[in-house]
Amino acid sequence: MSTPTLKSSTTTASRRTQSARPERDKPKRQQSLAERLIVPLFLAPTVIGMAIFTIIPILGSILLAFFRWDIISAPEFVGFDNFTSIVNDPTISVSFLNTILFVVVAVTLQLGIALALAVMIQGRMPGWLRVFFRSAFFFPLILSAASVSIFMGYLFNEQFGVVNWMLSLIGIPAVPWLTTPGGAAAVVVLVYVWQNFGFSFLLFIGGLASIPKEVHEASSLDGATGWKQFINVTLPLLSPTVLVASVMAMINALQVFDQPYVLTRGGPGDSTRTAVMVIFESAFQQLEFGRASAIGLVLMALIMAITALQFRLSRKFVFYQ
Amino acid sequence: MASEQPPGSDQHSVAQTFSLKNKSLAKAGDLSRRTLLGALGVGAVGATLGAWPRLTGADIPGRNSSALNVAILGTSADAAARQALVDEFTSLHPDIPVRIQAIQGADWRDFFSKILTMVAAGDPPDVVYVATEGAQLFAEKLAEPLDAYLTQDAADVQDYFDDVHPSLIEAFMYQGSLYQLPLDWNAANMYLNTSALERAGLERPADNWTNQDFTSMMRAMKQSTEGSFTPYYWTNRLFGGVVPWLYANDTSFLTETKATGGNWFWDRFYADDPTKNQRSGGYQWLEPNAEDPRVIETFDYLRELVAEGLGVRPEGGGGNALVGLFASSRIGATPAGGYWVQGLHEAGMGADEFDVQFFPSWRTQRHQFGAAGYAIMRTAKDKDAAWEWVKFCASKPAMELAFPTPNTTPTRRSMVNQQLYSTTGPEHWKTFYDTLDKFPTSGPIPAPPQQAAVETALMKNVSTAVSGSSAQVRSAMGTLQRDLELALRSNA
Amino acid sequence: MSTLTVPRQDQRRTPRRPFRIGRPGTIGRIVILLVAAALTLGPVMWTLSTSLRTPSESFNLPPQFLPLNPDLTSYFQVFEQINMVALVVNSALVTLMIAVGQMGTAALAGYAFARLKFTGKNMMFSIVLATMMVPVQVTIVPVFMLIRGMGLSDTLLALILPAIPTAFGTFLMRQYFLGLPNDFAEAASIDGASPWRTFVSIYAPLAVPGMAIVGILAFNFHWNEFFRPLILTISEQNYTLPLGLVTLQGNLGTGSISVVLAGVILSMLPALVVFIFGQRALREGLTAGASK
Repeated sequence: MSTPTLKSSTTTASRRTQSARPERDKPKRQQSLAERLIVPLFLAPTVIGMAIFTIIPILGSILLAFFRWDIISAPEFVGFDNFTSIVNDPTISVSFLNTILFVVVAVTLQLGIALALAVMIQGRMPGWLRVFFRSAFFFPLILSAASVSIFMGYLFNEQFGVVNWMLSLIGIPAVPWLTTPGGAAAVVVLVYVWQNFGFSFLLFIGGLASIPKEVHEASSLDGATGWKQFINVTLPLLSPTVLVASVMAMINALQVFDQPYVLTRGGPGDSTRTAVMVIFESAFQQLEFGRASAIGLVLMALIMAITALQFRLSRKFVFYQ
Repeated sequence: MASEQPPGSDQHSVAQTFSLKNKSLAKAGDLSRRTLLGALGVGAVGATLGAWPRLTGADIPGRNSSALNVAILGTSADAAARQALVDEFTSLHPDIPVRIQAIQGADWRDFFSKILTMVAAGDPPDVVYVATEGAQLFAEKLAEPLDAYLTQDAADVQDYFDDVHPSLIEAFMYQGSLYQLPLDWNAANMYLNTSALERAGLERPADNWTNQDFTSMMRAMKQSTEGSFTPYYWTNRLFGGVVPWLYANDTSFLTETKATGGNWFWDRFYADDPTKNQRSGGYQWLEPNAEDPRVIETFDYLRELVAEGLGVRPEGGGGNALVGLFASSRIGATPAGGYWVQGLHEAGMGADEFDVQFFPSWRTQRHQFGAAGYAIMRTAKDKDAAWEWVKFCASKPAMELAFPTPNTTPTRRSMVNQQLYSTTGPEHWKTFYDTLDKFPTSGPIPAPPQQAAVETALMKNVSTAVSGSSAQVRSAMGTLQRDLELALRSNA
Repeated sequence: MSTLTVPRQDQRRTPRRPFRIGRPGTIGRIVILLVAAALTLGPVMWTLSTSLRTPSESFNLPPQFLPLNPDLTSYFQVFEQINMVALVVNSALVTLMIAVGQMGTAALAGYAFARLKFTGKNMMFSIVLATMMVPVQVTIVPVFMLIRGMGLSDTLLALILPAIPTAFGTFLMRQYFLGLPNDFAEAASIDGASPWRTFVSIYAPLAVPGMAIVGILAFNFHWNEFFRPLILTISEQNYTLPLGLVTLQGNLGTGSISVVLAGVILSMLPALVVFIFGQRALREGLTAGASK
């Protein structure tokens, strides 16, 4: 892909290299040998780094998942016990159900809000206002989930929080946000969506911008307007973006930890305990390192399944221009 | 979209996106960019070299030294506050360098998991300040019993035991051995907001008040106060949550038994104590007891308090803003120990604006307490040196250095005196130590070696139990019973 | 490819007409957007304004969203209660080292995957991409053990080293290099420049904007990172900001709201700088992943 922009720098760049190395003329064959020799140099930092810090640890995790190990005493081989505990230990199985439920609700909300706002921002408005909205929706992405959870925890306090105070203005009695299972789950979802919808929003404005103007003009000529045009024209053209945005949001949401850790520590009950929280608790509070590994592997399998599903879906259903 | 393509096929989108920026930057020329990259590389190498001590932690004072490494829960400010203590110890034992390492955590469970992480990382401290919550975890897995040292230095430590209530010591006995000398402790007493009491037209209740008296007091407070005010605030954790009520109702969520043994200790150090014969080789919490009718009754009582709007639904974690809420008179009563006095004082509460009373009675009036002291790790480099530290810290001069303000209750009875509370209040500061002296059956926080799992199980079911119907209490207790059975089988 | 035609948004709005308020649909739309913006920024405004109140006022209702009568007590208390300077230094060191490390390694690997020929290239690139699916929680325990084996337990390097190899950055840089024209390489090879020379003199400078995006993404992610520091650092001296803030909430409920919020605001400042000056790069980097 060469663009006019890049062409201008092409000429300067090539001119400079010419003047820099005028005399040395090496035959081409040698170059390709040099090229082959140089490949490891380019790849080594990334490939060796990944081998050490990702691939070996995964193999280690797989091994560890078949042992019971508290780090202090010798590991004990337990076969598939750690995996069966995922089904048999209600705390763990509930945490997986919670995670899946969380993913479904949070991702739906995140995509819905993001899409609605992305479509609305396309309409006519002063340029500065558009920039303001875009910046505002994007802003939470730069914050740390831990800090966000800290101040949101205060905002959702049952007795003294601003949220309940605002609800009281319209006559709604104090909601026990963080102290009842439903309330706490709702807060974790809301806080998560508040921070992450901007990401999907960005994807959607990118996707909407890539729909050629002519398509809309043509459909307008055919008499399609507003909502109808959105459903029949925009949405199908946007479907690749929707698919990518939903997969990325799902993978992210599957790994949710910071919000429930800071806001609720998984409670009340098990209502906000997620799979990653159980990994943390098993490993670093209960010294069940084998079980933590097993849970992690199942989580990874889930993520891989969703990614594989994306590849299949994108072949079948998504409308490509 | 290129997502359907196998990796390796040509994709151009990213460069496309950047093309506009390229235009402006390209004008600046490749040379300056090359300089930029070079500068970045040199800068990175320079920063790595310059910050190497920081990157490797080598700049942390005393790290990797042979000094006696003492881990405490707190911040570096807390570590610095112990400098006088360290200096005093160094002047007595110039041959034993000491390094205090503050480990941060939101609660003791956090702190213990950090200590376990240190063990896992192969760099455990030599001595750890451990609270009741972790006493048995450490005794079971990590700590060295003090028995031999106590026998050897009996004469040196006798004055400590003369000054400390035996209940506090018994809490650190495990299977007949003593693992820690507790230095500070706190009972779950009831803090009362004086202005809330006055508004309700009430006096500080009598020592033997009942839970029914408590309910009436909360009702009166609620009726007499406008606006955002909750009579009873409590937190959801092992200390000061549901457990004091369980103890008052003569039960607990775990079956409490006592280990045999320990006579060697009681006969030697508490020979004259009238309760000597009730003392044991330590507490044992081996079985869950969540479906006991009294446990259900206790949870139901708390549920009713919540349902009637007299008590908050307990929050998990530390109950962050508690001091601020109490100090600004948005709370009428809350369970806390002597550690709270300094915090309230600093939050601007006058000595007469709050007071303290025993927890109300129910079937009995047994109280809950927690304590803490230094434990020597089995992996300690020099256990004799570690014992010198433990022994020194239990001496009265050292404890006076360690606890200058009432931000906790010293275990030495002689130090819980008028002078300590002269500027801060409360008026009835004697309540603190009387919780032990008048109620010798008062028991420690129930914390078996599997404390983390047990606390998690309790906390998660407390909140479901108290925020629904009476039937929900029963089902929550069923879940608690099952969760505790699993918890008691876990590693730690 | 849909991405071949990416018109910038503001360019699309042709012909430019002066904006006029009038159509009810337009007003309704803008009102909804304004409400959404208020909900997004409101909590942050409340945090800012509460952090500027005295600790005893922090519970007052109705809440303040605008910091009238600012009071800096809480900010001073943050510095008294936690070693804010050390937290910032640690966070900055960790984040910058990771960012620079990622920029370098990703540029090298991305270049190799884009422009060099070698056997097993596609397979290797697939493996690199596949590591993106591995959640950090799966590898944390073995990584912890490796770090221990390297004698790096409880050091900042334990946070930095494992984060430097980046699948996403490599992918991004590969795309970037693929987007650059081939003419340079041809010209350079005629000149007899070695592949290394070609990379250093021609392609790396051209790829600076791409590397900047990798760096900014790394900064944004690791500045806010919580899970790995929670496990890999032990000494308070090695804490990074998000960890320090959570512990600022206090042992056993002794923390004061306005002090905690002051800490939150302080920790936001560097991210805010990135937001103001690097927003565009950050946006593009974040969304670039969508084209994988």
